Amino acid sequence: MLLIIKRLWQVNWAEQWQYRANLLMYLLYWLVSPIIYLAVWTSIANQNGDVNGFTANDFTTYYMVLLICDQVTSNIVIHTFGYKIQDGSLSGELIKPIHPMLTNALINNIAFKTLSIIGFIPIWIALFFLFKPDFSNVALSGILLAIPAMIMGFFIGYLLSAAITALAFWTTRVYSIHEFYFALILLFSGQFVPLPLMPKLVQDIAQYLPFQLFLYYPIQLILGKLSTAQIIQGFASGVVWLGISMFLFNLVWRNGVKRYSAVGA
Amino acid sequence: MHTLKLLSSFFKVNVQMSLAYRTDTVVNILLNLMWLGWELLSLNIIFSNTTTLGGWGFGELIALLGVFRLVNTMMMALIWPNTEKFNQSIRDGSMDYTILQPVNSMFLVTFSRITVWRIWDLILAIVLIVVGINITGDATTTLNILTFMLLATTGTIVIYSLWIVLIALTFWFTKFDNNVTILHALLDSGRYPATVYPVWLRLIVTFIVPIAVATTIPLQALRGDLSPSQVVIFFFVGVFSFIIATRVWKAGLKQYSGASS
Amino acid sequence: MSHTITVEQLSKTYQVPEREGGFGAAVRSFFKRKYKDVKAVQQVDFKIEQGEIVGFLGPNGAGKTTTLKMLSGLLHPTGGKAEVLGFTPWELKPEYLRAMTLVMGQRNRLSWDIPAADSFLLNQAIYRIPDDEYKQTYKELDELLELDPLMKKPVRNLSLGERMKCEIAAGLLHRPKVLFLDEPTIGLDITGQVRIREFLREYNKRTGATILLTSHYMADVTALCERIIIIHHGQLKYDGGITDLSHKIAPFKLIGIMLTDADSHDLSKYGTPVQNEEDADKKYIQVKAEDVTRITSKLLAELPVHDITITDPPIEDVIEQAFNQ
Repeated sequence: MLLIIKRLWQVNWAEQWQYRANLLMYLLYWLVSPIIYLAVWTSIANQNGDVNGFTANDFTTYYMVLLICDQVTSNIVIHTFGYKIQDGSLSGELIKPIHPMLTNALINNIAFKTLSIIGFIPIWIALFFLFKPDFSNVALSGILLAIPAMIMGFFIGYLLSAAITALAFWTTRVYSIHEFYFALILLFSGQFVPLPLMPKLVQDIAQYLPFQLFLYYPIQLILGKLSTAQIIQGFASGVVWLGISMFLFNLVWRNGVKRYSAVGA
Repeated sequence: MHTLKLLSSFFKVNVQMSLAYRTDTVVNILLNLMWLGWELLSLNIIFSNTTTLGGWGFGELIALLGVFRLVNTMMMALIWPNTEKFNQSIRDGSMDYTILQPVNSMFLVTFSRITVWRIWDLILAIVLIVVGINITGDATTTLNILTFMLLATTGTIVIYSLWIVLIALTFWFTKFDNNVTILHALLDSGRYPATVYPVWLRLIVTFIVPIAVATTIPLQALRGDLSPSQVVIFFFVGVFSFIIATRVWKAGLKQYSGASS
Repeated sequence: MSHTITVEQLSKTYQVPEREGGFGAAVRSFFKRKYKDVKAVQQVDFKIEQGEIVGFLGPNGAGKTTTLKMLSGLLHPTGGKAEVLGFTPWELKPEYLRAMTLVMGQRNRLSWDIPAADSFLLNQAIYRIPDDEYKQTYKELDELLELDPLMKKPVRNLSLGERMKCEIAAGLLHRPKVLFLDEPTIGLDITGQVRIREFLREYNKRTGATILLTSHYMADVTALCERIIIIHHGQLKYDGGITDLSHKIAPFKLIGIMLTDADSHDLSKYGTPVQNEEDADKKYIQVKAEDVTRITSKLLAELPVHDITITDPPIEDVIEQAFNQ
């Protein structure tokens, strides 16, 4: 198994390396909206002194950390796998003795992320000097706690995206479904603005959804804004969501493959 | 005359295509409404925490959203689908056929795909502009509206020209199929007035990827913030960028046919 | 009278980036690319008269497609001249583009999502074909290719053969005087190939159009062309009648045999052994055509043969053999 993973890594790394120019463009694409939100909210905070207790530096640190968390927890499985189901090239992978989505596609995603994080580090440092966030409140313990939290967030996100991608077994409109899912993340993860500034209703619903585990929760961990009870609660809900997303993915995948082989695509 | 006839032919073909994908069209309209809802919600969140953003009020930001959506519609209805077709035609070689047709290839590459239902989006954008101006309650003069329309057109041409340059780069770097991502990425910056951005970002969205030229600046004209000489300058920026784009495109075609090497 | 196509010393050299495998090489190539020259076409000369159908043959990578692309105007040559219908192709004058067509068997000109009829109308607008002329041309093409039943279906629902018919028709709506066809029958079954061939012959007869076609299938060429041009490694190797050519290249046949214990017999005393990846069960030997009967009976008499086949060698091999020495 280790050898398989090693080989898969080599292949996928080489493949991603081929696309390095595209990757830079992707990084740029992905950077822009957090920076815009950062600019918008710091400008409002500067103008009014603070926004509901959030100072300009609170916003700057929030979005600077958000860039890191998003980089780690997001995934591109819909783009790298969706078409395989639709054009039938999945058949070749199904007959291999490894799980197409939980090995190959997963490692491909991780290779992609590793490379994009390498490209991202200098950009983040440049942004650091441009925005000069004050990180004096950040403690090592928060960062150490955030690492498992982000890994957990990545796997929950990956499994949920993979489940949505696997809907391609039934419908060609899986990209539209994914777009809707993406809007949910935008609304409930804290991507647009720290969750306490969202309308009350959105905040309440966000409590019962996994999306804040992708961004808001690890960001707050790093910034040291959570009480011990909140930290435990976050990890607990992470474990529960990991279970739920694993279950959902397996359900969709099993039935999808069954359907795929029945149709004989 | 012949150009119009060609355009209407393209239009007909594209209506055919969207009829072939009826359900997708409906789904896309729903998603589009969802994003409009999100945009309005995000403006609402912003303005529940402040009264002005970068010196602009709620009504003005609604109007800006309208202008942004105007540009966005051009992107969605023409630029992205044609980019996709262009990149694919480079990959599978059908670009050869495009070049061998006795029509200006830049024209073919611009109009061969039209997402027809986006016309509806245009109407929506105009509604937003009108509503935004009304909320502001400013006494907008006819002259301001005219310069606004002029500069919105100019700005659109500037972005279009940038697009031509970006896709023409594919002739040199064949694997460059993320050619328009930079445009796609920075497009979102047009949702807010460029005046809220830090200087470096403002410089980028004004001069390098001039999204602001098509969004913030026309709206400034509508508010009467621009001097006549500024209006003239922006107008000529539009003219020159189009000329440059045409040149780059021709050079790209030469590269494709191996004339330059 | 001047020739329809004149090619003089036409050459094309590509610069291809060199790349080794591995991470280090990838990093290096990112900063500094190495190029090597690939001579795709080297000083090719030929002339083609109006109304001729000429077969353009050569193994993969011989420079056929490059030459066709230069003649249609897609590629600039690195040296030499070409003139088609009095135009220099790569100037891409609209008058020239309206007078010629390029059909490539592996490329799509028609949009997949809509019926071919709509793409045809678009072509009518692009090529500025007057309505009555369009109707007339379409009627003729329909007569030859039986297009009508295909026109209403989205192109992606057509079979490969049907699609090819539509592709060719789309390329001919503007009544070009010169046709460049690159592998027009590729991937088609035998019936499909025959239909396209018949169509091209008939079209040539009716309109007097000049046709230059490349093909993988020897049968395409033997059925259509009286004249053959062969290029190999970018160089012109043969230009002349097909009958002369067959004397030069036909004298070989391939004998395939299946034996009980294949490896214990030495076949080289019967003929030249040949590799064939597609059919690993059989052993192949190449023999002179006049010896086929003699060697076959010898094989049958002396060896434990299960099965025996006699075929023409593939066109690539023949050309390789005839012109590579």
